[in-house]
Amino acid sequence: MATTEQNTKRRPWLFPVVFVLVLAAVLLLFNIISKGLFLEWTNLKVIISHLIYPCFIAWGFCFLFACGYTDMSIGGVVVLGSFASCIFGNWYGLSGVVLGGLITGMLLIFINFLIFTYTKIPSWIAGISLAMIYEAIAVFLKLGKTTKPLVSTALATEYRTLGQLPWSLVFLAVGLVVIYFLYNRTTIGLNIRSLGGNRDVAEKLGINVSKTLLAVGLITGVLIGIACFLQQSYAGQTTVKTGLTSINLIFQPLAIYLLAQIIQKRINIIICVPICSFILYAVFNILTVLGVPSGTLQEAFLGAFIIIFGVIGQRKAKGVVK
Amino acid sequence: MGENFLEIRGLDKFFGPTHANRGIDLTVKRGEIHGLIGENGSGKSTLLSQIAGLYRRDGGEMFVDGEPYDPHSPIDANRRRISMVMQELGVVGNLPAGVNVYLGRTGQFSKFGIINMRKMRREAAGQFEKWGLDAPPLGQMTDGMMIESRKMIELARALSVDPELLLLDEVTQSLSLNNRNKLYELIRRFKDMGRSVLVITHDIDEMVEITDTITVLRDGQVIGTVDSRKTTPDEIRMMMVGRELSGDYYRADNAPSYEDEVVLEVSGVSVPGELEDVSFELHRGEILGFCGLSDSGIHAVGKAVYGLSKRSAGDVYLKANDAHIVNPTQAMQSNMGYVPKDRDNEALMIHASIRDNFCLPSLTELKGAAGFLNPKKLGKLAGEMRDKLSVKCTGIFQPMDALSGGNKQKVNLGRWLAKDLKLLILDCPTRGVDVGVKAYIYSLMNEAKRQGIATILISDELTEVLGMADRLMVMKDGKVTKTIDRGPDFTEQSVIGVMI
Repeated sequence: MATTEQNTKRRPWLFPVVFVLVLAAVLLLFNIISKGLFLEWTNLKVIISHLIYPCFIAWGFCFLFACGYTDMSIGGVVVLGSFASCIFGNWYGLSGVVLGGLITGMLLIFINFLIFTYTKIPSWIAGISLAMIYEAIAVFLKLGKTTKPLVSTALATEYRTLGQLPWSLVFLAVGLVVIYFLYNRTTIGLNIRSLGGNRDVAEKLGINVSKTLLAVGLITGVLIGIACFLQQSYAGQTTVKTGLTSINLIFQPLAIYLLAQIIQKRINIIICVPICSFILYAVFNILTVLGVPSGTLQEAFLGAFIIIFGVIGQRKAKGVVK
Repeated sequence: MGENFLEIRGLDKFFGPTHANRGIDLTVKRGEIHGLIGENGSGKSTLLSQIAGLYRRDGGEMFVDGEPYDPHSPIDANRRRISMVMQELGVVGNLPAGVNVYLGRTGQFSKFGIINMRKMRREAAGQFEKWGLDAPPLGQMTDGMMIESRKMIELARALSVDPELLLLDEVTQSLSLNNRNKLYELIRRFKDMGRSVLVITHDIDEMVEITDTITVLRDGQVIGTVDSRKTTPDEIRMMMVGRELSGDYYRADNAPSYEDEVVLEVSGVSVPGELEDVSFELHRGEILGFCGLSDSGIHAVGKAVYGLSKRSAGDVYLKANDAHIVNPTQAMQSNMGYVPKDRDNEALMIHASIRDNFCLPSLTELKGAAGFLNPKKLGKLAGEMRDKLSVKCTGIFQPMDALSGGNKQKVNLGRWLAKDLKLLILDCPTRGVDVGVKAYIYSLMNEAKRQGIATILISDELTEVLGMADRLMVMKDGKVTKTIDRGPDFTEQSVIGVMI
């Protein structure tokens, strides 16, 4: 009797091929709708530049969620890390940009993991509290007080190279290769995924849970740290604000992660992340080109888009035997 | 090398106030197939877990090849060439089958930190081939695989350390006849190679047949060790429970007995990849058995009748309630009950209380006029069922995961018997339960039969369906190949001939 075990073996290449063809057709359709504006290099450059740092955050989510943590403070970490990247960048140049973001990101994620692991507070609750603290620190650092909620700071133009093409693309390409191997082809990657799959079994097979969680913290910290300085280098400024507004920063990476998770049955999730980022920002881009107002209708489109994607992606293969 | 591979002296293990193992003495010789038997909660799995490095011992000594042995982890045990297949499922669903075989030891395939996945899959395939086991698709995630395939992956994982001592905790209960035979063959091969197996099974006949020596545990203590060739199943049963068990727990009659009234009509049911054109009628008070090899589709029958799988053709008509069943909600509302094979993942809310698990299928009946649930009513039902089924627990608010396998199964089955059922579907109802609970479950089935409840009994244990069913449907490749009525032809030989 044929089961899924045999069924899914038949044509594993079919979905990626159909997916790429459909994607190409959709992009052509976008181009026709926008009267040739969409596929112009200048427009594509905007899309590509915009998607790099959310990709790193989404990759961070891949590791974070794989071990069962939901960290709502990532936005706060990015705010504080970007802020540090800006301050240190203006003081020490490019090395300051990189190290400021990277070290702050790593340090804060490490603190988060210590709190999640040792206090046993559910990560999403602890994450929200930490987000408030990080936002407040960012505002406090800038103003020395928290009474003025909205402030901006800018990175000098000459230090924004890493967030622009082609450097940002180099980061994306190198990131994709390194993270792909780390997640899929290393012992630590498999151990992290096994924790998310079944922590009891992983532990019984001799996987050191504390050490693995520490590795997740370290890897996520590096990825979020990279996202911090890429964000600062791309945008050149960070909006520092209290009131959990930093959570807004993680919505788009979260949408990317969710899209990637939906199609990960057919395409590896690490590869899915940049593809889904491109799809997401292409949709936003075409909506903007078509004059759809951002902040309201665009978000509604995003929500609907994820649901439709989810429905298509989650369709069960026939003959599943549980 | 001495004659004894493993020696255990005065082993003690405590879980809080519970003294799970009390001064255990046990010796496993080289080339010996040693069985461990006892009622649920007698401390068998705890003992095996300590040998496998899953638990640390609280007292006593262990020796492997005459040297002190104190494993801190399963990896430690593996280094001494001891490995275990656990009772509960132990694979990671979001990783491929090949990775699961070497999980925790993937470093051996890594060069400059990068794992050679192809090599790992090849090695995993080699393990299946070496030991004569059927390999599942090794590149596929284990999530969608059948329990049996997952169990075989665990077995391959245990064998991949090339063990001198293989520990098997209730493995055969998850396997169908063909894979069970392969396991027996593997055990014999181990013996021929001068290696040892320490095996737990609740099937006493199987235990007597495959082992050389049997050690009986009761209340965490060794009651005795006997030579398998010089003992009988009855003697073992008596040692297990501490008294003589009266009568046979299977049905004694030799003819079908049920009413003429048809309760269920299943006609031409097909489920893609699982079932093809399955039709049968089920009568009031009838126990209809289903048996077959792995992939024969017997487990899919239960799911299809209960509306859990999407049919491509056919109809399930519950005549008693005039309902065409298409989904589980409708099945439940039509007085149908379903006890799945995978009790922890598909049946019970394992972290919820005994009360909530007992009451879940009966919430509609327990609901008050305004639609609210009355905690007193919930408590009353759960309390009555606990007492009726003699569930060993500290109270109805104890979480399910604190219960032993047999007591979990009592709740799993009992919660349906609290309802006014027309039809009950039982998929391997005695999986992982001891002889006492098994007998009790059969008595509950007989009681349900007397009350006129129609039962579909799906089982990997041929003796069980032969012992309990009025009619038996033998399946192969998703189709019913033969229907046999209870009578002179109701024998293992005649059924196996059709199954294979």
